[in-house]
Amino acid sequence: MGKKKQKSLSTKISLWIVLFSGLIFLAALGLFFNESRLAVQKEAIKNASLILDNTIQHINTIMTEVTVAAENMDWLVSRHLDDPDSMLVYSRQILKNNPNLNGCSIAFEPYFFKNKGLYFSAYSFNDNGTILTTQEGNDHYQYWSLDWYQLPKLLDRPCWTEPFSDFNPDDICSPEMIISYCKPLKDDEGTFIGTFSVDLSLRWLSQTISAVKPYPNSYSIMIGQGGTFFVHPDSTKLFYQTIFTPSLLEPDTAMISLGHAMQAGEEGVHELEVDGNDSYVFFKPIKDTGWSVGIVCPAKDIFSGYYRLINSIFGIVVVGLLLMLMIFSSIITKQLEPLENLAYQAETIASGQFDEELPESENNDEIGQLNNSFRNMQQSIVRQMEELKMANEQKGRIQGELAVASGIQRSMLPKIFPPFPDRDDIDVFGRLTPAKEVGGDLFDFYIRDEKLFFCIGDVSGKGVPASLVMAVTKAQFRTISAHEASPDRIISRINDAMAEDNESNMFVTLFVGALDLPTGRLHYTNAGHDAPMLIGNTGAGMLPVDSNLPVGVMPGWKFSVQETMIDPDTTIFLYTDGLTEAEDIEHRQFGMSRIKETALELQGKRIFTPLTIIDRMTDEVHAFVGEADQSDDLTMLAVQYTKHNENITYQRSLTLTNDIKRVPRLNTFIDEVCEANGFDMASIMQINLAIEEAVVNVMNYAYPAGTKGDITVEAKSNGKEVSFVISDTGKPFDPTAKAEVDITLSAEDRSIGGLGIHLIRQIMDHVNYERADGHNILTLIKKMTTES
Amino acid sequence: MNRQSLAVALCAVICTVCQAQDKMVFTPQWTAQAQFAGYYVAKEKGFYKDAGLDVEIVHPSLTQSSLNRIQNNESHATTLPLAQAMEIIDDGVPLVNILQTSMNNAMVIVSRRDKNPLEQTGEKVGIWNAGFSQIAICMSIKDNLGYRWVPFASNINLFISGAIDATLAMSYNEYYQLLQTGIEIEENNVYRFRDHGYNIQEDGVYMTKEYYVKHKDQARRFAEASRKGWEWAVQNQDETLEIVMDYVEREHIATNRVLQKLMLEEVLRLMVDRESKEYEFRLRPDMVEKACQLMYENGMLSRQVTYDEIIDK
Repeated sequence: MGKKKQKSLSTKISLWIVLFSGLIFLAALGLFFNESRLAVQKEAIKNASLILDNTIQHINTIMTEVTVAAENMDWLVSRHLDDPDSMLVYSRQILKNNPNLNGCSIAFEPYFFKNKGLYFSAYSFNDNGTILTTQEGNDHYQYWSLDWYQLPKLLDRPCWTEPFSDFNPDDICSPEMIISYCKPLKDDEGTFIGTFSVDLSLRWLSQTISAVKPYPNSYSIMIGQGGTFFVHPDSTKLFYQTIFTPSLLEPDTAMISLGHAMQAGEEGVHELEVDGNDSYVFFKPIKDTGWSVGIVCPAKDIFSGYYRLINSIFGIVVVGLLLMLMIFSSIITKQLEPLENLAYQAETIASGQFDEELPESENNDEIGQLNNSFRNMQQSIVRQMEELKMANEQKGRIQGELAVASGIQRSMLPKIFPPFPDRDDIDVFGRLTPAKEVGGDLFDFYIRDEKLFFCIGDVSGKGVPASLVMAVTKAQFRTISAHEASPDRIISRINDAMAEDNESNMFVTLFVGALDLPTGRLHYTNAGHDAPMLIGNTGAGMLPVDSNLPVGVMPGWKFSVQETMIDPDTTIFLYTDGLTEAEDIEHRQFGMSRIKETALELQGKRIFTPLTIIDRMTDEVHAFVGEADQSDDLTMLAVQYTKHNENITYQRSLTLTNDIKRVPRLNTFIDEVCEANGFDMASIMQINLAIEEAVVNVMNYAYPAGTKGDITVEAKSNGKEVSFVISDTGKPFDPTAKAEVDITLSAEDRSIGGLGIHLIRQIMDHVNYERADGHNILTLIKKMTTES
Repeated sequence: MNRQSLAVALCAVICTVCQAQDKMVFTPQWTAQAQFAGYYVAKEKGFYKDAGLDVEIVHPSLTQSSLNRIQNNESHATTLPLAQAMEIIDDGVPLVNILQTSMNNAMVIVSRRDKNPLEQTGEKVGIWNAGFSQIAICMSIKDNLGYRWVPFASNINLFISGAIDATLAMSYNEYYQLLQTGIEIEENNVYRFRDHGYNIQEDGVYMTKEYYVKHKDQARRFAEASRKGWEWAVQNQDETLEIVMDYVEREHIATNRVLQKLMLEEVLRLMVDRESKEYEFRLRPDMVEKACQLMYENGMLSRQVTYDEIIDK
C-alpha cells in the first residue's frame, strides 16, 4: 500500500513537471510554427507570383504581337474597301507575315459588296504552314451572329473573343480551338461595315500555361470571362464547365469568391479547398482579355518542408518529454524511499504494534526530520497510552464501587409493595429515581405499635457524600423511632447527632410523620422540607407545615410538632424538590402548580391509591421534562389511610377511679367482656393480666399523688378482635416509647414502661398509645383466634 | 425438310421480324440535351421497339436543321415550339402535332444586373438566330418596349462582355448557362413570359401532314411510346440523367452534368399544367388561339392557324 502511494506521488510530480514543460514547449513551438508557417507561406506566394508574372509576361508579349499585327494591317483594309478581292490578299498576307497566327478574317455586313451577295468574309487559315484562303460566308455559316463578328460591332472597340471552335461545315476552318482579336471596320463616316479578326490557336496558350508547375502536385488553369475553364488538366472540365458550375447545386462560397476575383481581373492568392485538398490559388489576369490564369498549389506541397520540420521537432519533443518523465520518476522514487519505509512502519504502528522500533534517520533533509519527528511522536503516544490505561483502570474500579454503593443504597429503601398486604387500614407506595449512581434522597416507613412511622428527606449536595449522609439519616430514623414515637423528638435527636461535628456542613431537609392507625391522627414534624399534599374525598390541598430548620444546621434546635386528623381514604403525598424543580430542555421547572393540577385531576376522579398517584406524577413529570437530562433525584412517597368504621358488634365501658381497690371490679369487667366474646380461660387470664398491668400503671402514676382521677376502660368487639381502650386525663405518658428494659430502675418503678409493657406486648396482638385532647389513650387489641 | 427449305423458312422468319419494326427517323430541334430526355429514354428503354418502331434519333446539324430534314423526308418527326410550328404551317408547310409535352412557356428575358427588362425600352436584347422567339417579339411590340434584337448563335459571351443589355433565354437552358458564368441574377432582372399573360405552350412532336396521313398508326404508336418515355423520366430522374449524358457525350456537346440535371428538372416542371397540376400531354386550344391571335396581330401569321388544323382533327 505504501509502495503504491509513493509510486503515485512520484508519478504525479513527474507528470506535473512533464505537463508543465510540455505546455511551455507547446507555447514556444506554437509560436515558432506559426511564424515559420507565415514565412513559408510568404515565400511560396512570392515564388508563385514570380513564376505567374513571368508566364503572363510571356503571354502578353505574344498577344501584343497579334494585336500589333492587326493594327498594322487595318489601314490597308480601310483603304481598299472598293476592292473586295484584295481582302483575300490581305488576310493571306497577314498570316504570311505572322506565322504564329492561325487564321485571319475580314468579314463584312450583309450585302456590303453588292456584287458579292449576302455574305463576304475573306478568310485565310494557316494549315501547318500552308496558307489556305476562302470566302467563307454561306447559309450554314452566318458569321454575323457569331461572337467574333458581333462583339467588336456591339462594343464598338477592338476586343478578344473567348476561346471558340470556328466550325464551318461547308468550307475550310480551323480544326482546333482558337482565340480571336477582333476590330470593328468602319467607313469614312464611322459606320460599322464589318469585322477584322486575327486568330491564335488556343493550343500554344494552353501549353504555355500548363507548363507552369512550381510544385509537384500543382497545376495551372485559365478561365474566360464567363468563368469557363479554357486551361485545365481535367478534360471533363475543360470547355464544358465553369469555375461556378458545382456551385449551381451546392454553393461553394470560397470558390465563388475566387471566381469573381479572377473575373474582375484581380491579382492575388486565395486559400481554399479545391477537389477536397487545402490549396492556394495564385491568380493574375491576362491583359485586355478578361481571362485569368491561376496556379492551384496544394497546401501540403507548399508546406511539405515545413511539415517535415514540424514532425521532426514534435518527435524530439515527445521523446524528450517521455525521457524526462522516466528520469524524474526514477529520481523522485529514489528520493522518497525513506518516506516509503516510514509509511510502512507507520502502517505497522497504526495496526496497533506501538512498540515497533523506528530507526533514527541520519538524513538532515525534510524526510529525515519527518522520520525523527514521527519517532518522537510514537514514543510520546506510547507514554500517553500507558497513562490513559491506568486512568481508565482507576475509573473502572471507581465505577464498579459506585455500582455496588448504588445497589446498597437501593437496598436500604423499602422495595416490597404493597408493604402491608394483610392490613386494610393503610396503603403505602414510594419510589426513588436517582439522578446518579448514588443520591441523597431518602424515604422510609414502617409500622410499630399500630403507628405508621414515615419520613422523606433530601440531603444537600449530590453523589457519594450525600449518599453517605442519606444512609446515616435513614439509619438514625429507624433507630430513634424504634423507641421514640413523637416526630419532633425523632427529628431533634437526628439533628443533634448530625449537627455535632458537622464539618462538611451537610444538612438534610426531612419530614417525619407518625400516623396513628386506629384513629387516623397524624403527628408530624417538618425540617425545612416541602409541605406534603393531602388528597382525599374533601379535596386536595397542602398540609400546613412549620418550616423549621433543616436537620444538621443547628444543634439543639427546638423542632415543632403538628397534628391533624386524616380522613379515611385520604392520601398523604410527599415528594422531594426533584419533583418541583424537574426541568425541561428550556430550564423551566415543573413547579408546585403542576403538582397541584395533577392532584386535583386525580381528586376529581376520586383516585387516591398511592401507586396510581405516583405513577401519574411520574408520567406528568416525564412528559414535561422530555429529552432533558434528570438533574436531581426524584423521590415520591404516598401514604393512604384507609381505615373505616367497623361494625361494632359488642361494646361496654367501665370507669374507675385511681384506686387500687377498684381492680377486682376491672377483673370482673374483663372476664365478662372476654367470656362474651368467646375467649378461653387461658386467654381470659392473660388478657386480664395485661389490662390490669396497664390500668394499675395508670392508677399509680397518671395523676399526682393524692389527687383523684378517672380511668375509663372501653371494650369493643367487631367479631374479629376485641379492643380495650384505656384513657385517662393524667400527665402525658407513652408506655410504648420505652422499648428497652431499663435495669437501672427499681423493680417497682414504672414497670409498665419496662417489663410491664413487654408483658403486655407478649399477650396482646397490638399495643397503641395516643395522646389526644388531654387524654392518654392506650389501645390494646386481642384477636379472637379461639373460634377460628 | 431439306437444307434449302430450312434456309427459306429462316429467311421468312427474319423478314417477318424486319417487317414488324417500322423504321423511322426522329430529329429533335436542337443538339443533344435533357430537353429531349423522354425520347432518349423511349429509345434506350425499348419503348419504341415495344411499339413496333425502329426509331433512329438524328440530331440536326449546321447544314441540316430539323425542319429541312422532315421537309426532305429524311426525318419523319421533329420537335418544335408551338409558335414556330404555327409559323411554319402559315408558311405553307402543313404540320400535324402528334404529341404535346410542354404545358408552359419557358422563355425568359434576363437583364444585366440591376435592370428590370420592362424598363429597358429600346435596348439591345439578344435573340436566337435560329428562331423560337415569336412570342418575345410580340411582347416587345405589344408592351411598346421596342427592343433592338441582336441575333446570336450563343448569347453568353455577348451578355457577359456587355455587348448586349439583356437576352432571351430558355429557363431550362441559357438561364442556367448564364448563372454558370458567376453572374448573380435577382428576380427583378428576370422577366418570365409565362407570368405575364404569355404562357404559350412550347415543345411538341410534329410530322408533315403528308407523312402523317400515310402513317397515322405509326404516328400514334410513336406518340404513345414517347409519352411513356417521358413518364418514365419523371419517375426515374437519376437514370434519365445518365441516359441524357450518354447522348451528350456521344454528340460532344459542350455542357456538363450539372447543367443537364438542372435542365431535366426544369423541363419536367414545365410539363405540368399550371391549372390541373398534372402531366397532360395535350395541346390546349386556348393557348393555340392565344398564340394565333398574338402572331396574327403582329403580322407574323398571314392567316389564322387553328387548333383543329394543327392536330388534324
